Amino acid sequence: MKALFTICLFFLVNLTLAQTTIKGIVKDNKGETVPGVNIFLKGTYEGTSSEVDGSYELETDETGKFILVFQAMGFKSQEFEIDLNGSAQTFNPILKETINEMTAVTITAGAMEASDEKRAVVLRPIDIVTVPSAMGDIIGAFQTLPGTANVGNDGRLFVRGGDASETSIFIDGMKVGNAFGTTASNVPTRTRFNPNLFKGSFFSTGGYSAEYGHALSSALALNTVDIPVRNQGDISLMSVGVGYSQTLVGEKNSLTATANYMDLSPYQAMVTQNFDWERAPYGFDAEVSLRQKWGKSGMVKAYAHTESGGMKIWQKIPGSEGRGQLVDLKNHYTFTSGSFKQIGKNDWSYYGGISYSNNVDEFTLDQIDIRNQNQVIHGKAVALKGFSDKFSLKTGLETYLFSYEEGLKSENLIRDFNDFHANIFTEGDYYVSNKLIFRGGLRAGHSVLADQTWLDPRFSLAYKFENEGQVSLAAGQFSQMPVEQLRIASPEVQNTIANHLILNYFLTKNGRTIRAEAFYKDYKKILTYEGTQYFYRNIQQNGTGYAQGFDVFYRDQKTVKNTDFWVTYSFVDSRRKFAQFTEMVQPGFAPRHNASIVVKHFVSGLKSQLGGSFAINDGYTYTDPNFAGQMNAKTKGFRDLSLSWSYLPKPNLIIHFACSNVLGRDNIFGYQFSPTPNESGKYESLPIRQTAPRFIFVGIFLTLSKDKTANNLNNL
Amino acid sequence: MKKHTLFIALLMFIASIANATNEAYEKAMLKEIQALGKAGPVSELQKSANSFARIAEMNAGEWLPDYYAALAYANMGFRTEGGLEEKDGYYAQAKKHIEKANAISPNNSEIVAVEGYIIMGELAADSNSRGQSLSGLAMQTFGKAIGLNRQNPRAIILMAQMEYGMAQFFGQGPEKACGLVGSSLELFAKESSEAKEGNLNPTWGKGMAEEMKERTCK
Repeated sequence: MKALFTICLFFLVNLTLAQTTIKGIVKDNKGETVPGVNIFLKGTYEGTSSEVDGSYELETDETGKFILVFQAMGFKSQEFEIDLNGSAQTFNPILKETINEMTAVTITAGAMEASDEKRAVVLRPIDIVTVPSAMGDIIGAFQTLPGTANVGNDGRLFVRGGDASETSIFIDGMKVGNAFGTTASNVPTRTRFNPNLFKGSFFSTGGYSAEYGHALSSALALNTVDIPVRNQGDISLMSVGVGYSQTLVGEKNSLTATANYMDLSPYQAMVTQNFDWERAPYGFDAEVSLRQKWGKSGMVKAYAHTESGGMKIWQKIPGSEGRGQLVDLKNHYTFTSGSFKQIGKNDWSYYGGISYSNNVDEFTLDQIDIRNQNQVIHGKAVALKGFSDKFSLKTGLETYLFSYEEGLKSENLIRDFNDFHANIFTEGDYYVSNKLIFRGGLRAGHSVLADQTWLDPRFSLAYKFENEGQVSLAAGQFSQMPVEQLRIASPEVQNTIANHLILNYFLTKNGRTIRAEAFYKDYKKILTYEGTQYFYRNIQQNGTGYAQGFDVFYRDQKTVKNTDFWVTYSFVDSRRKFAQFTEMVQPGFAPRHNASIVVKHFVSGLKSQLGGSFAINDGYTYTDPNFAGQMNAKTKGFRDLSLSWSYLPKPNLIIHFACSNVLGRDNIFGYQFSPTPNESGKYESLPIRQTAPRFIFVGIFLTLSKDKTANNLNNL
Repeated sequence: MKKHTLFIALLMFIASIANATNEAYEKAMLKEIQALGKAGPVSELQKSANSFARIAEMNAGEWLPDYYAALAYANMGFRTEGGLEEKDGYYAQAKKHIEKANAISPNNSEIVAVEGYIIMGELAADSNSRGQSLSGLAMQTFGKAIGLNRQNPRAIILMAQMEYGMAQFFGQGPEKACGLVGSSLELFAKESSEAKEGNLNPTWGKGMAEEMKERTCK
């Protein structure tokens, strides 16, 4: 009976009311009140939220020792030990902000990011593929961004007075050797990779992270799609070829296989060409892409791309009659890569991979057979540790194996070189607050062939203003071995070196983006030489140079309904002593004034997207041997107006029409001169022109899947 | 006899504690679900989300508290008049809670529908630039939710909204979307006729369907 009584007493105690009131005001470290804070006693249902003025009041019937928790979005949680004994208590906590990756300042100096996930981006991936002048080439779209020059007889990416070899291209972090198709001189090339592969890109025109090496002026990192959303088949029928792609998606993996065949013969038979083609460019490519989720947060990707193609073209020789010299070119190319990323415990994460590029060119120039083979193997492993939300450190190891061989088959002359690079880099990011970040990095490397060890320091910082605009500053040293065609003639050459200094302002708000950047870059140890490829002589490493200027970019998706446009202007003042030049000159690939406008407008009534892009520059320098001096002349300015029309009659069908140089301007990129003067003592010349007055593209893209709204928009 | 009484009393005591926790959970949930249904402005939704977050802390094995916390945060994203950063902040919180709910109760049609609802919010926040990447994902997620339970009216009405948006974009009629609105309304009616006193399972979304019927499917 006594026991029962005790238990009854226990129940009574349980019911006794001993109410305690806890109250106060929650503020942040700037002294501002914080509304909506979740305030509760750990291990109980007792809790409340702070009001708009930061005040709160919590009444509880609990007694004894508890932990009082304050929790709010964007702040660190705070806990207090509390003894509930019926007497009122006051807590006025000051919450500390956490670094929010989504909204904190980001370093934008030199960088232009295209991503669906991040915030400080210039473009979305979809914007890249719908630039009218790009004609489906990812690089064509980057040529409408600040800091780049349009070099129409080359087609590659020229950044801020640098030549095309100064830009390194990476896919999922892995180096891509020979990313552009091999072509005859003055016939523009394209990237080998379909823009549809990529979900985002990071394009830097300078001042980039210590993670990127072997790049003097620019790094372009392309990231492939993780797991596609659905099973689908994509058929493309184009004026230049046909293609099919099949995607299969599983719970944790996916497979995409693609095959394309292109041949410009039928097209060239219909549309006037400026060039004298013996055989229009043709080729096939095939690729397979595999993705596998690894655990909860990891991903493994494997990718293989192979292609084969060729062309035959007659190239006129200035001052002589006839069709000129026949260039017969065949190219075989393979790129394979495997990469992984994984998030570990205790704020560790890891990524890395390995890639192999193999490019074989077979030329016949008149009667001479030439075979060149370039191979690159790149391995990389990076570990990232977050020590707190404010400080993280990235450390990585990288190796490169470069192998190049060139041979005059008819003469049985072959030469080659192999080089091994070992690199290590480390880089720390320190957030002082959500508004201020510092980044410091070091990159060290060693080349076996050049027997050289180097150290490149890099530094950047960024500050975000109240209005969401931000300034960033970046500086650093960048090293790159000279191109293989020169290294093979002089294997002892050392790194070329550039120093970058960049100041950037970036603001993106309400569908509008403003970006302005000023830069200074100097070059050291540039190669100078005499002669041409295969016959380089007197190679020296005493060239220097600089590039300075500024660029502005404005993008607006809001002002005009259903319309997206961007305007870019870049000023580049670049002079360098390089190649055959014996003094500082303005390079032919570095026009001073460059501008472009891209406009896209969606018309619901027509079910169509209309696009237009206009690019202009002030002309290319060249040397006219009829006058004294080097780079003593300049072509008339380049102008191009491209238009496109995408018609979507059904959600899964797209008909795309695009035309470059609608106005038919005869753009000239320079002149070729006869090697010797004619009878009247004049060097005769031929202009370097576009391959055709216009390029017209028509394509039909059909997507087959259960989801009838899926389409091929990314393919355009 | 004494021992016997003691034993029974002890048993009763233990049962009362177990019952009390369950009752406290149900009571708290019922109260907060009602409050969420009435919550208008973002500040009220934040309080509601906080309450569900507290209940979730206490009941690690229940998916409903995290589910409702996610729903409250998603609605904050839709209703706030703040900028993109603020909206994305709410959607990030919503995702955190729905992921927790999903880990407790995988392949749950209701949870997957809210997952899609959050994606729809992110899309609406910046449709110009997110349309291409997120519209397919949202439709796929609603498709998955419907696949898991064809009787889920919320998955169907959300899918109807996406279908309507797509049809508008491509200049097509609303017939397909309106068909879905009709079937969701039937399921909502069935759901409310079957609802029992003290039901904690989701019942929201009927207003959305009625409004859409009024506005687009007359």
